[in-house]
Amino acid sequence: MVLAERVSPAPVRSVAEGAPPRRPKNSQGVAYLFLGPWLLGAIGLTVAPMVVSLYLSFTDYDLFNSPQWVGLDNYAKLFGDDPRYLDSVVVTLKYVVWSVPLKLVLALAVALLLNSLRGKGQAFFRSAFYAPSLLGASVGLALAWRAIFDTWVDTPDYALITIVLLSAWQFGAPMVIFLAGLQQIPRDLFDAAAVDGAGWWRRLWSITLPMLSPVLFFNLVLETIHAFQAFTQAFVVSGGRGGPADSTLFYTLYLYERGFTEFRMGYASAMAWVLLVAIALITAVLFRTSRYWVFYGDER
Amino acid sequence: MKAHKVVGLLLCTVLAAAGCGGGSASNGQAEIRFIWWGNDDRAKVTNEAVKLFESRNSNIKVATSFQNFQNYFEKLSTEIAGGNAPDVIQMDYRYLNEYAGRNVLLDLTPYVGKEIRTTDWNAGFIGSGKLNGKQVAMPLAQNATAIVYDPKLFEAAGAEAPAIGWSWADYKERSAKIQASTGGKIAGATDFGGTEDVFETWLRQRGKKLYADDGELGYAKDDLKAFWQLSKDFRDGNATTPPELVTTLNAGAEQTPMGKKLSASEHTYDSLYGGYNTVRPNELKLGPYPSDSKETLGSYRKPSQLISASARTKNKDAAVKLIDFLLNDPDAGKILGANRGLPANLKIREAVAQNLSGANKVIFEYQKSVDAKLGDAPAAPPKGDGTIYKLMQRKHEEVVFGKKTIDQALDEFWRDAEEALK
Repeated sequence: MVLAERVSPAPVRSVAEGAPPRRPKNSQGVAYLFLGPWLLGAIGLTVAPMVVSLYLSFTDYDLFNSPQWVGLDNYAKLFGDDPRYLDSVVVTLKYVVWSVPLKLVLALAVALLLNSLRGKGQAFFRSAFYAPSLLGASVGLALAWRAIFDTWVDTPDYALITIVLLSAWQFGAPMVIFLAGLQQIPRDLFDAAAVDGAGWWRRLWSITLPMLSPVLFFNLVLETIHAFQAFTQAFVVSGGRGGPADSTLFYTLYLYERGFTEFRMGYASAMAWVLLVAIALITAVLFRTSRYWVFYGDER
Repeated sequence: MKAHKVVGLLLCTVLAAAGCGGGSASNGQAEIRFIWWGNDDRAKVTNEAVKLFESRNSNIKVATSFQNFQNYFEKLSTEIAGGNAPDVIQMDYRYLNEYAGRNVLLDLTPYVGKEIRTTDWNAGFIGSGKLNGKQVAMPLAQNATAIVYDPKLFEAAGAEAPAIGWSWADYKERSAKIQASTGGKIAGATDFGGTEDVFETWLRQRGKKLYADDGELGYAKDDLKAFWQLSKDFRDGNATTPPELVTTLNAGAEQTPMGKKLSASEHTYDSLYGGYNTVRPNELKLGPYPSDSKETLGSYRKPSQLISASARTKNKDAAVKLIDFLLNDPDAGKILGANRGLPANLKIREAVAQNLSGANKVIFEYQKSVDAKLGDAPAAPPKGDGTIYKLMQRKHEEVVFGKKTIDQALDEFWRDAEEALK
């Protein structure tokens, strides 16, 4: 990271400057050759289906017969004439607003704890806390969760909470990233602060959090995007219905129901595109705000 | 080196020959795919029957696979959309129109009575696979709605067991009695208000039906209101399961209030009795629905499953042959037994009835006891019924959990149901 450069700038620079810009003629070709497999996959499995889905979103398509062009009808219906769609948006927003901060706070707290354990079984606890995330999208885990929170899951007021808890419990990925970020913070900053008499909270607020803010930002963006796309847990926990009484009708779940059980694939495609644009917008807004609270170390 | 080359050449020749052999498959050889939903039990008998079919038709190979019901139709729709439709497809009554209405099922009309034998069939029952004059499916077996109950709990509470002639008021009274006798721990009846199958049975007892001939809703708002009110009366009278158990009805028997021993009686289909019997062996019985009508129970001879061929199959003859074999071959009938319900072929049904035990016996005896009061199946539900089925559950849930009043839920149900039928 940038910080490493500041601590020992000399060797880094010398390597960069010492190496002459040597570019064999065919280096680009080789690069593309190595990129090839990924590129093929990205075009064939991601870009092409996306283009098709964009087209389908302007059609009435029932999976079996050829799509009929309907223009903006699907989009108009989404916003004007589908109360359940709006319900699913509300449920998803609730989930994002609850689960992302909860997960990040848990991840940060555990990372701080583990960071203070330098050498004393840190590796073991890191793995232990990471384990639930490895099982992340697993169906088995969601089923176990369903069994544990049996009555909660079947009551509208609590069903969403159980899914938020399930997601928060899988804080391993952001935790590991936080931990790596924490270990990058130069110790002399803390030492200097300690000499000045700063307590634990002071150091957390004035050193750790600002120095960690790029990592925090990264985790926030990633987890927000993931949360909008949450599907497996809700699908399994609610038996694929978004119930009880639509209390766990996630956006993706409703999309799936429209596409695969009601055979309205055109409508489902329109939903998918609205979600994509919404996520892009929200990410853009997060990036905008980042200039006010993310500290990249090299700023004065 | 030379020896290697020779061996290599030889191998190539052998492979080429084998390739040639494979290529000649078009000469009378056919490979078809058959899929169904069910569990391991069903897979065992079905695969056994398919093997017998292959041994009798050495030129036909059948690849089989199965899913549970929940995933089955999602898989089927994606396979068909992907141009990879199975040749022979187990079909559900509720989905018949969704698929046939989209022209993905082969019209079997030219084969009925010829390649597909129907001499030992009930003519009315064959009709349950017809849509707009086309035979798009053949019923595989017959089932009917029923009440599964725990006779010990009825007895302990001094409540009479379900029998023809009992009314909905009797049901409520006995359920409340049972619930009181267990100190409220076990409900007298599983809440039925969100289940379209129960509503349909109840409607038929009043001479109405779910769908009119033109495919519109066949009942009025007030009918559904009265039905939801009936379910509410059960709740108010401490005769039925608490709200959080209402949502468990979609899963297998082990997940339902009955399977969890939290209810003394539950609405079901007789063909599902096997599942209950696995969870609670030899504890439960089947009885008729309560009815306020002397003439009818509202239940009817429903095709528990149907069987169709894909309209795009390249091996029509082989597919039709397999369908006929599964429906009409006495040996296949013996292997399949009553696994899918009462066999559609009456001769096979009789043969199977001679040799019954366990769950199959209970199912056969139940159907025999109510047969005189069963009606013929109505026309298959229209496209959109799958959506309405779930809609009814959802709106009823909202009522049960106190999120909406019956009238609010009713208005929303009506709006969305009409939308689904468009």
